[in-house]
Amino acid sequence: METGNDVELVRSFFKRDIAQVSKPGRYLGIEVNARRRPLTARGCNCVLVYPDVYEIGMSHLGLAILYEEINEREDCMADRAYLPWVDMQELMQRKGIPLFGLESRVPLNRFDVVGITLQHELTLANVLRILSLAGIPLRAADRGSRDPLVVGGGPGAYNPEPVAEFFDLLVLGEGEEVVHELLDAVREWKDMEKGDRPGFLRRCASIPGVYVPSLYRVHYRPDGTISGIEPLEGAPMPVRKRVVSDLDRVTRPRRPLVPLVESVHDRCSLEIFRGCTRGCRFCQAGMVYRPVRERSEDVLYAWGREMISATGCDELSLSSLSSADYSRIISLAERLSRDLERERVAVSLPSLRTDSFSVELASKVGRIRKTGLTLAPEAASPRLRSVINKEVTDEDLLEAVSAAYREGWRKMKLYFMVGLPGEEEEDVEAICSLVRRIMREGDSGRPPRGLRLSVSVSTFVPKPHTPFQWVGQLSLPETARRHFILKEGLRIRGVTWKWHTREMSYLEGILARGDRRLGPVVEAAAREGCLDNWSEFFSWERWRRAMEERGLDPTWYVERERGEEEVFPWDHLSAGVDRSFLWEEYQKAQRGEATEDCRYGDCLGCGVCDGKEVSGRLAGGGS
Amino acid sequence: MKRILVKYYKKGDAAYLSHRETMRAMERALRRSGADLVYTSGFHPRVKVSFAPALPLGVSAEAEYLEVAVEREPDLADMTRRMNEALPEGLRVVSLQVLPDYMPKLSRWARYGLYRVEGAGGSFHLCLRIDGEGGGRLRDALQKLEDRFGAGVDAVTRVGIYASRDEILEEYPDKVYFYHTENGELEIMEESGAG
Repeated sequence: METGNDVELVRSFFKRDIAQVSKPGRYLGIEVNARRRPLTARGCNCVLVYPDVYEIGMSHLGLAILYEEINEREDCMADRAYLPWVDMQELMQRKGIPLFGLESRVPLNRFDVVGITLQHELTLANVLRILSLAGIPLRAADRGSRDPLVVGGGPGAYNPEPVAEFFDLLVLGEGEEVVHELLDAVREWKDMEKGDRPGFLRRCASIPGVYVPSLYRVHYRPDGTISGIEPLEGAPMPVRKRVVSDLDRVTRPRRPLVPLVESVHDRCSLEIFRGCTRGCRFCQAGMVYRPVRERSEDVLYAWGREMISATGCDELSLSSLSSADYSRIISLAERLSRDLERERVAVSLPSLRTDSFSVELASKVGRIRKTGLTLAPEAASPRLRSVINKEVTDEDLLEAVSAAYREGWRKMKLYFMVGLPGEEEEDVEAICSLVRRIMREGDSGRPPRGLRLSVSVSTFVPKPHTPFQWVGQLSLPETARRHFILKEGLRIRGVTWKWHTREMSYLEGILARGDRRLGPVVEAAAREGCLDNWSEFFSWERWRRAMEERGLDPTWYVERERGEEEVFPWDHLSAGVDRSFLWEEYQKAQRGEATEDCRYGDCLGCGVCDGKEVSGRLAGGGS
Repeated sequence: MKRILVKYYKKGDAAYLSHRETMRAMERALRRSGADLVYTSGFHPRVKVSFAPALPLGVSAEAEYLEVAVEREPDLADMTRRMNEALPEGLRVVSLQVLPDYMPKLSRWARYGLYRVEGAGGSFHLCLRIDGEGGGRLRDALQKLEDRFGAGVDAVTRVGIYASRDEILEEYPDKVYFYHTENGELEIMEESGAG
């Protein structure tokens, strides 16, 4: 690889200037287990980008998997990048330093592929900030043969429309297999001097799971709704997500990177299964990661031990969407915690169901540490719980809290949402009375002395590919009114409560179900700022103005109830679950009817299993 | 229980790791060293380890120290090798030493830091106290050096940590500047007899 002027620039920047910024450890790229491979001449050089700061990005499992997949190949390499903190951004801009891959210190625009994960709506402006710091043309249409291919992925790819024009292509679903098909395609293209970019993108579109936004034209009606999405030049309609059928057979990060700077989740993550069939109607993850596929117990046991000995981590987290649901959870958790206890490694279960079984399990395996426990009843009234299909009762919650209290936890966190479809004032008040009941009587009629409850309340944001994709989100004044009810009602000794910034949830709502007309809005907002998920940098005013200037109405995107037949901006993208199933679920929600978990009951016909490659897989052997 | 004195260096990019980040990296390496470590008790057990006073960000070090408690004496060569495999580039264990019981704790003897200062005016040795209240004013000392010699500083390396000034003079009989953290005076170090 030729050494250009900009590579020198980065090098001298490290010599002279890096000590000026806060926590320079974030930019060094010398983590234990970093592969630090040089760029190749003929293979595909990738840089994997998490569009938020190092401390958040380093904990992300998806990119860790891709990092491993790509670097296992002799002919290709992967480096990493994150959004620099504001002081570093300013310094880089002042000194003319382009954003670079942490390990190679080569500017991003010299890579073949810049892969960006879309994990959250409030990081979309960060994506544009990253492209502009890297000196890569923002719009895919403006990129030429010397510019990298900007590739997106992650759950945000299920509706990437607000940023679609900035991506050459996106990948829907799980990346372990499709990444190799893409790498091979890029290699081949590189052999042909990267000529005819549009032709190359057309070829990519024939790879299952690959979405090339420029190959779809969106037609709007005068009222702003979409009349149709037209695939061009034989592009697939819809693009279907990729699913790995057997997780035991794909690459696992055996030597995960060890963050140099303390990160949000300073632990090794053992992904025990993917998917969740509990069917909570608000939950996008529960819909788009289907079907449930468990890894086998022995694979997990060996993998967990391997990661601990390769990192020196003191915590192994059994992660999934609902860890207590894993078929062999007791056996796995007990084996791991018994064997790792000697090395003082704690085994933790981050996402627990709200029941005493889960709490007792967490307690049994987490003998060593009792920091905080989080339970998520989401809604406090039985009626609203049946709307969201979360089958948990007040008694379950009280028992779970009591079990935790008995096991020694004194600090617990409860998660609720406001603004769920059909929510009335009394449903909000039910949160207060439920919390009061916990603090007064526990489940034994006596107040649990010394218990401190932290109640965290988020605003419900309807997400694409869920049964609630049709509903209107709460307006800002109405959210404020419901927060006020909580503020008054949660003045209880030992209880603190936190709420999500209302305008942040509102912006999340705009972008979650946004369409392509929002592209210039994101671009304008990103010019003036970024890090919208950090309250010290978030500015609703910036976004409101950007929308107003383009004649777009936030309430239309956020608060409007959609009709059954409305064409959604993401209708050409399929997460596997049928739209008709989602609609039926929405109707059942309105009637307060429950839907069973297909793990225990009959197939619900959600559409995700194809009866061949894609189907549920349990570690106990059943499916 | 035995104590092991770990001597390590911190060079290159690793010099930009903060004290806290360096501690984390060393603790992780200790956990992977194969040694039978002593842990603190309680809900969040930690490796029983103590570090020499913090090195300012951006300063390299040739001989830093930490002291770690182990249940029994490990194979030192094996422990060194395993730790070095588990450390980020630029952090390396130089030697390990099992401390006899009579040796004072690291926090009792790590008093003086000796720095090599390189700049346009040449290369100097600078010594200052690094423990207690007045410890660690390296930046002030460097400013004083710059003022005195009218030349900027390019690189600073902590070359060692000592219990007394006499130890330093034994090793470095040539001119060493001593910075008094109490009054900001800079003087040439001479044998004091006092230490």
